[in-house]
Amino acid sequence: MTTDSTTDSTTGKVATWQVITGSARGAAHRASGLPNQDAVASQDGPGGVVVAIADGHGHVRHFRSADGAALAVDVACRVASQAAAGLAADATEDEEAERAGQELARATVADWRSAVAGQLEVRPYTAGEQSILDRSADTPVIPYGSTLLVAVIAARWLVCAQIGDGDMLAVRPDGSSFAPVAGDDRLDGRRTTSLCQPDALASFRTGAHDLRQVPLAALLLATDGYGNAQADEPWQPSVGRDLAELAACRDRHWFGQEVPGWAERCASAEGSGDDATIALLLPGAGQDSAGRDAEEGG
Amino acid sequence: MTGPDSRWPGPPAGDKAKTRVDGPGTTQVTPYARMPGGGISRRPLHFIILADCSGGMKGEKIQALNFAIADMLPHLAAWERDQEQAQVFIRAIAFATEPWWHIAEPQPVAQLGWKPLQPVPKGLTNMGPAFALAAQALAPGRIERRALRPALLLITDGLATDPPGGFEAGLSILMAQPAGKAALRLAIAIGRDAQSAALDRFIGDPGVPVLVADSTEDIADRLVAVSLAVSRMSEAGADRGAVAGRLFGVPGDVASKIFDQDTIV
Repeated sequence: MTTDSTTDSTTGKVATWQVITGSARGAAHRASGLPNQDAVASQDGPGGVVVAIADGHGHVRHFRSADGAALAVDVACRVASQAAAGLAADATEDEEAERAGQELARATVADWRSAVAGQLEVRPYTAGEQSILDRSADTPVIPYGSTLLVAVIAARWLVCAQIGDGDMLAVRPDGSSFAPVAGDDRLDGRRTTSLCQPDALASFRTGAHDLRQVPLAALLLATDGYGNAQADEPWQPSVGRDLAELAACRDRHWFGQEVPGWAERCASAEGSGDDATIALLLPGAGQDSAGRDAEEGG
Repeated sequence: MTGPDSRWPGPPAGDKAKTRVDGPGTTQVTPYARMPGGGISRRPLHFIILADCSGGMKGEKIQALNFAIADMLPHLAAWERDQEQAQVFIRAIAFATEPWWHIAEPQPVAQLGWKPLQPVPKGLTNMGPAFALAAQALAPGRIERRALRPALLLITDGLATDPPGGFEAGLSILMAQPAGKAALRLAIAIGRDAQSAALDRFIGDPGVPVLVADSTEDIADRLVAVSLAVSRMSEAGADRGAVAGRLFGVPGDVASKIFDQDTIV
C-alpha cells in the first residue's frame, strides 16, 4: 500500500513523504490458525503525514489483541494528525516538539483505553472469555494488549512515540542510521511493554528530531516479526545502508511492489514465523510552492 | 551493501531465494535479492543439556543416557523441520566435581552427531558450577536478542554434592541472567533417590515436576517428553498451560501462570 503526503519544509518548498506499508501473517500463526494480529494505518493531510503500526500480543491472555492493535493504529493516527497540525506551525521549537511527542503518547493511551471500553460495550466478553480473565485475574483491558509505534512528519519535525517491542530506524542519506526513540532494557526479546499495562504512559518512549539538522533518506517502522527475522545482529546498520542506497536509485513504485514482499519473507517459515509489518516513509523530491511536481516520474 | 555477493543495486533478476548453510554452529541464512540487510533466518532456540558425569553414572546409566540423548535429537530435528518458527541449537555441559563443555558451540540439531559422555571416576555431583557455566553462555551478547527463550535440561542420578552454599550460588548466577531466568528449566532424575528439593529449586516452578526415570529404560521416554515440552512450548500462540498439563500431568491453570510470563512487563 502506498500513500503520499506533503509537508512544508523550511526551504519554502514542499517536500513529499511517501508511506509504503506491508503486513503479513506469520507462518506460525497460519499453522495454528491464528490471524495476523498486527495492524498498520497511515494518514496524510495538510499538517503532515502520520503512520502507526501495532503488534497484538497474540497470547491466550490477550485474546482480543488483534482488535487492540487495530484500535491502537486508528487512535494513534487520529491523535497524531492533530499533533501534525500543531507541528506544522512555523514557530514550533525544540521543546514544543518534544512535548508534542509526550502529548501524543498521553492522548493515545487515554483514547485507546476509551476505544477499548467502547468496544466492550457493544461486544462484551463471552462467558468463555470472561473465564480466561478470571483465571488470570486480569483487568478487562489486558485481552486487548498491543504494542504501538507511531511517527509524525510535519514541517521540519519528525516526532515519534513507541511502547513495546518493534523497531524504528531513521536512515540518513549516507546510510548511517539511528533509532529515533530511546531503547528500553526491559525489551529482551522475550517480554514486551504494552498499551494494556496499568502504567503504559510511563513505558512510552518518545523523540523529536529536526529534519533540517538531520535529513533523512528513509524512516522504517517495523513490528518485531521483521527484526526477529534478520540474520545480522545487529541488523540495523546493514538494513540502513541498503535502504539509503535503494532510496537513492529506486522510485516509490518499486518500493510499493517490494515492501509487501519483505513483510511476507520475514513472516515466512524461513524468517521469524511471526506476523511482520513494515511502514517505510520516503521523502520525495521537493516541489515548489506552486505545487509543480519535481518528483521522479515513476 | 552487506556481504560479498553484491546483491544490489541492479535490475530485478528473478529475485530467486536461495539458502546458505555455513556449516556447523552457524545459522541458515536465506538472502533475497532486493531486500535490505543480511538475509533472514529462523529464530534460534538454544537447548543446553547439563549432564551428570559423576562416578555414580558409570556403566549402564551413562550408556543409557548417551543412547537416550542420541535418540532424542532426531525428535527435535523432526520438530524443527515441521514447525514454522525456530532453529534449534544444542550445547552440552558435563559435570562431576567440576563442569566442562561437552559441546561448547551451538550446534544445529539436524547436524549434530552425539559424542558419548564419559563418567569421571570418583567424580562428585557438584551442580552449582555447572549452572554458572551455563549462565556464561546465556549472558547478554552471548545469546542473540532475537533468540526464543532457551531450554535447560538437567539430568542427574544423585543428590547435589556441592559444598555449603555452592548449589545456591551457582543457581543465583544463572537466574541473574535474563535468559537464564526466562529459560524453560527441566530436570530428569535417574532413580527416585535422585529426586530432590534441589532439582525443584533448579526448575523454579511447582507446576513443573521433576521427571523421574525409574530405570535406565525410562530415560529415553523422559527425554522424549522433554523434547515435546521444548518444542510445544516454543510455538507461537501455544496454550503452554494446556501443553504442560498434558506433558506433566499438572492442572493447566496452574501451569499457565508459569509459562505466560513473557507477554508483558
